[in-house]
Amino acid sequence: MKVAIFPPNSLILADLIERRGHKALVLQNEIRKKVKDPEIDSPPFNLTEEDPIKGLKYAAIEVPSGVRGRMSIFGPLIEEAEAAIIMDEAPFGFGCIGCARTNELCVFYLRKRGIPTLELKYPKTKDETTELVNKINTFLDSLEENNG
Amino acid sequence: MSPKESPEVCKDDHTRTRMIILGPGATISQSELTQNLHMMELPLTIKSTCYGAMVYGDQEYVDQAVEKARKLDPYNIFTKDRGFPPGDPRRCRGHRGAAREGYHQLEKEFKLLGFVGEALKNPQKVEIEKPEKVSVDDFRKIAEKSYSKSKSSDKSSKILDEG
Repeated sequence: MKVAIFPPNSLILADLIERRGHKALVLQNEIRKKVKDPEIDSPPFNLTEEDPIKGLKYAAIEVPSGVRGRMSIFGPLIEEAEAAIIMDEAPFGFGCIGCARTNELCVFYLRKRGIPTLELKYPKTKDETTELVNKINTFLDSLEENNG
Repeated sequence: MSPKESPEVCKDDHTRTRMIILGPGATISQSELTQNLHMMELPLTIKSTCYGAMVYGDQEYVDQAVEKARKLDPYNIFTKDRGFPPGDPRRCRGHRGAAREGYHQLEKEFKLLGFVGEALKNPQKVEIEKPEKVSVDDFRKIAEKSYSKSKSSDKSSKILDEG
């Protein structure tokens, strides 16, 4: 099954999903399309004027173009997802997802999809990490059972 | 690099970059990992890094390499996709003069990899509780409780003011 993850570039979530034979819908694969497209004029400024227009499907015109641009990348991943794992309170400030409003919008759309969703908190201790890993594995196994 | 095929021959659509990350409890070193990857003789670009290794090439071969690499130490080898090819001047820290953007998140998650490896080694059965909505009656009780609390604190602050 295709499993959307949040944060969409999480190593732990992507790795655990692949270990159970599912496909993790990660942000990096979408970014690859952007950075390897020879038609984009001036990478790394690879957000074209079409992207905020695509983002209009997910966010209104009043919303900053940065949010719409990000949603044009995250949106297709959310639509493709058959299940989702959301990790709250993850250290978002790093990397290319340091936009709080986009994060909120992504979580909102994932919840709205009505697909099987597992919501967890980013672990800080050993016990929390063990619980997180076991919960994720149980959730992924239950997806297999439901899917036949 | 293997003599079979150079990565330039691969079509762009089918190429993948994979980061292979060694957990803190890994029984092999970065150089051993890289050596093992080279020994597979797959047509891939292999780069040894501080966290493990990076492989780049056709998706089919990258998947094969990742599968075999995992078997070296199943509980302590983790993998992740990467958007940019290895050594890309837009991301390579050698050109940028600082750590690449994704490195900081990787550093944060690396701190938990040891615990993740241990949890994978000793799996336990857990039950996932479904979050339930708060009932109207419970919500009313909470609201009334907080209202009476705020009222009593107002009274005590008034007494303090007067005193």
